Amino acid sequence: MRMLNFAKRNFKELIRDPLSLIFEIALPLFLLFIFQQFNIDADNYRLENFTPSIILFGFSFITLFTATLIAKDRTSSFLIRLGTSPMKSSDYILGYILSLLPIVLIQNVLFFLTAVAMGLEFSMSIIPTILVSMIISIFFISLGILIGSLVSEKGTGGLGSIIVQLVCFTSGMYFPKELVGGVFEIICKLLPFEACLNIIQGTLHNDFSNLTLIHIIVFLIYFIAVILLSIVVFKKRMISDNK
Amino acid sequence: MTAIEAKKLTKRFKDKVAVNEINLDIKQGELFALLGVNGAGKTTTIKMLSGLILPTSGEIIIENMNMKREAFKIKQILNVSPQETAIAPNLTVKENLEFMAGVYQIEDKDKKINELVKGFKLDEVLNKKAKTLSGGWQRKVSIAISLINNPKILFLDEPTLGLDVIARKELWKVINSLKGKITIILTTHYMEEAESLSDRIGIMANGNIVEVGTSKELIKKTKAKNFEDAFVSIATGGEL
Repeated sequence: MRMLNFAKRNFKELIRDPLSLIFEIALPLFLLFIFQQFNIDADNYRLENFTPSIILFGFSFITLFTATLIAKDRTSSFLIRLGTSPMKSSDYILGYILSLLPIVLIQNVLFFLTAVAMGLEFSMSIIPTILVSMIISIFFISLGILIGSLVSEKGTGGLGSIIVQLVCFTSGMYFPKELVGGVFEIICKLLPFEACLNIIQGTLHNDFSNLTLIHIIVFLIYFIAVILLSIVVFKKRMISDNK
Repeated sequence: MTAIEAKKLTKRFKDKVAVNEINLDIKQGELFALLGVNGAGKTTTIKMLSGLILPTSGEIIIENMNMKREAFKIKQILNVSPQETAIAPNLTVKENLEFMAGVYQIEDKDKKINELVKGFKLDEVLNKKAKTLSGGWQRKVSIAISLINNPKILFLDEPTLGLDVIARKELWKVINSLKGKITIILTTHYMEEAESLSDRIGIMANGNIVEVGTSKELIKKTKAKNFEDAFVSIATGGEL
């Protein structure tokens, strides 16, 4: 299977990049640990709410490093070599997505182990939460494929940082959007990150009362649009890069 | 027998004609060098012949298969060593070879990898990450990788660009050892490389193939002192 062979290569490239491991795993773990030491008296920072936030925060770095890997492959002629091989477009896209899923799983398991060690009550809902977050991670990986197909390796750093900031400030992980209100509240509703967080938190709590129809619609629109766009743009760039 | 045939091959990018109705007939086992100044159309020609980009018009026949209709089959019998080093940086040399063996779904991959390791004397760098190797070693690995699928056709785009004299001579030795066994299309800016390695040379200028022949034939035709002068005379239309 060419797709699995490609996924294996991508996984090795990512896992051997120390920066990728620091930002995707070590930094979110550190934040999970340190914020619990502050004993902040707000719902957002309770372990059952903050652990899903940390999962989402980790995904923003998945976007950044997926984008960097693809931009690097494009500029290093690696994809030119593969372009003359019998690999098909589906092998590339699925190969990139599949390579990231084990990293997402490792993130989730480590985040939950740490959270449980710090006092999160263990419940069976952790398992469906991991599964749901893995599905959500496909959106973040596709976003990485899209960014990596559009900009250079240098550009991925800038755009990736914007995604990290948007996740931090518009998902509601640090403060509820109602605190700022106005246009900011509308922006939060229109972006997919709050919906992602509410879905993960709802699955963990087994309580979807915070999840509105608008959240579901916004998430589905972004999920489908970004996946389709990443496929189209990647295919187009594979051709235009080789002109 | 013909290995590569191009008929009226053309590539246009908007208003610019990069390759203009070129015809090529390269025999099996031949080492054909494609020379030209920057922007002459060499790399675009190679990209079309290797199936990387589609021609605007014209026809490509590789080993009796039409590129338009049988690109997937053709891609299994050719390989390319691109101008820039095209290897996975965080993978070891062995992992790079294994990965490309997987891309081409080589049945007895261990045997093939051992054969390449032996042939290219890669033992000493086999377990080193590709990004830690010198430019010479990276090129050597890149060419070794391009032989993983026992290609019938091999495209070498500027294989020795930027290498020191010793690394270049080593690669020449490798390329010479492939002569006759594989049809090789080589692009280079080094005249002595084309002269020393190739059976025939095609000179491109402004998207056209302006002359084809052996180095001796081209020297004779232009009445030049050496091949470099012959190339300059042909590439500039006798202006220099």
